[in-house]
Amino acid sequence: MTSSSASGRKTLSKIACNRLQKELLEWQVNPPAGFKHKVTDNLQRWVIEVNGAPGTLYSNETYQLQVDFPEHYPMEAPQVIFIPPAPLHPHIYSNGHICLDILYDSWSPAMTVSSICISILSMLSSSTMKQRPEDNDRYVKNCRNGRSPKETRWWFHDDKV
Amino acid sequence: MGPSLAFSTAEELRKAGNSYFKKGFFNAAIEAYTEAITLCPDIPVYYTNRALCHLKRNDWTRVEEDSRKAIQLEHNLVKAHYMLGLALLQKQEYADGVKELERALDLGRGANPKGYMVEEIWQELAKAKYMEWEDLSSKRSWELQNLKEACENALKEKHDAFEMEGFLDEAGPTHMRQLEALGRVFEKAAEADTPSEVPDYLCCKITLDIFRDPVITPSGVTYERSVILNHLEKVGNFDPITREPLDQSQLIPNFSIKEAVEAYLQEHGWAYRTE
Repeated sequence: MTSSSASGRKTLSKIACNRLQKELLEWQVNPPAGFKHKVTDNLQRWVIEVNGAPGTLYSNETYQLQVDFPEHYPMEAPQVIFIPPAPLHPHIYSNGHICLDILYDSWSPAMTVSSICISILSMLSSSTMKQRPEDNDRYVKNCRNGRSPKETRWWFHDDKV
Repeated sequence: MGPSLAFSTAEELRKAGNSYFKKGFFNAAIEAYTEAITLCPDIPVYYTNRALCHLKRNDWTRVEEDSRKAIQLEHNLVKAHYMLGLALLQKQEYADGVKELERALDLGRGANPKGYMVEEIWQELAKAKYMEWEDLSSKRSWELQNLKEACENALKEKHDAFEMEGFLDEAGPTHMRQLEALGRVFEKAAEADTPSEVPDYLCCKITLDIFRDPVITPSGVTYERSVILNHLEKVGNFDPITREPLDQSQLIPNFSIKEAVEAYLQEHGWAYRTE
């Protein structure tokens, strides 16, 4: 399911390629705390290991993020999902889709993989309950055809968490 | 043949030339443009079109001739300056070639900052500048290396003389310190020519690349012009960093950053590397 949405994608534009190379270089020198980029030769799909921050509900837990970049990145947001099993969180669906505004409507080309990772970790860290979103089953059922979360019309749960 | 008939015939020949060109029949295109020029020798586009055919055939002398002729007729033609620049670089007339490409870049940005021509001209210019840096920096590094060896040898001779005179205890540590200091001095001297990272303040927050044509927003953030224009068109009317509302008309060239970039590139030619 996670790969079907990306199978028809176009290769990265020159601008996107250039920028991702720079981001990767910066990441290697200065990775965001709690994250590890899994080395591959695929610039267009990054797999990133996330470690729950100490002192939070997710400490000592490890998850994997999959980041797929569109042809016109960063003019378009990347698709970011957790590779199941996804962390239990009120804004994270069991299929790995994440309800976070900056990944969709509030995307800005000045954001980077690194800043997305920091937002996701802070979303995890501020959680007070380990549970799925209320509409989890309905949503996941609707996504069974392999729909990308970028095609979802998100109704953001709230701005604080 | 009257002047208006001459012109309309020449225009027909230009169109014929263009269609030959598109099919890759460069010799036929050259003939058509040449006839057009015979009828109307004062129309610059006939020369630039013919220059482009010569360029496709790698006939650089003729590229130069036709480009110069076009510029004589109309001094601010982007394509003519661009092709003249390429022709001069081919002839190893480095400084003049770069000057022409810079002129083409300025004119091109004035006409259409997002156009493909601007990107293409920049690529050629950066390539030329990078090659110049490679050439000069390898000469500089050779020179430094020789000088360093000479200095090391001189220090060693001095040290050996001390040893002969029996000042062993003092001479040893001093000699090591001097060698280390010498190493630092030469490392420092080679710093500007050592590729590293361009400082963040000279890079666009979107491209993460060194600025070429920086513009500043009312929020005080500077971006690469073509990219912020693209953002306003495709993503939304807001400043990507501050998210304040932003309209294209509010973008102002940031000449200070542009000068800072030029000064930096002057000292660190490796930063012209395009990929």
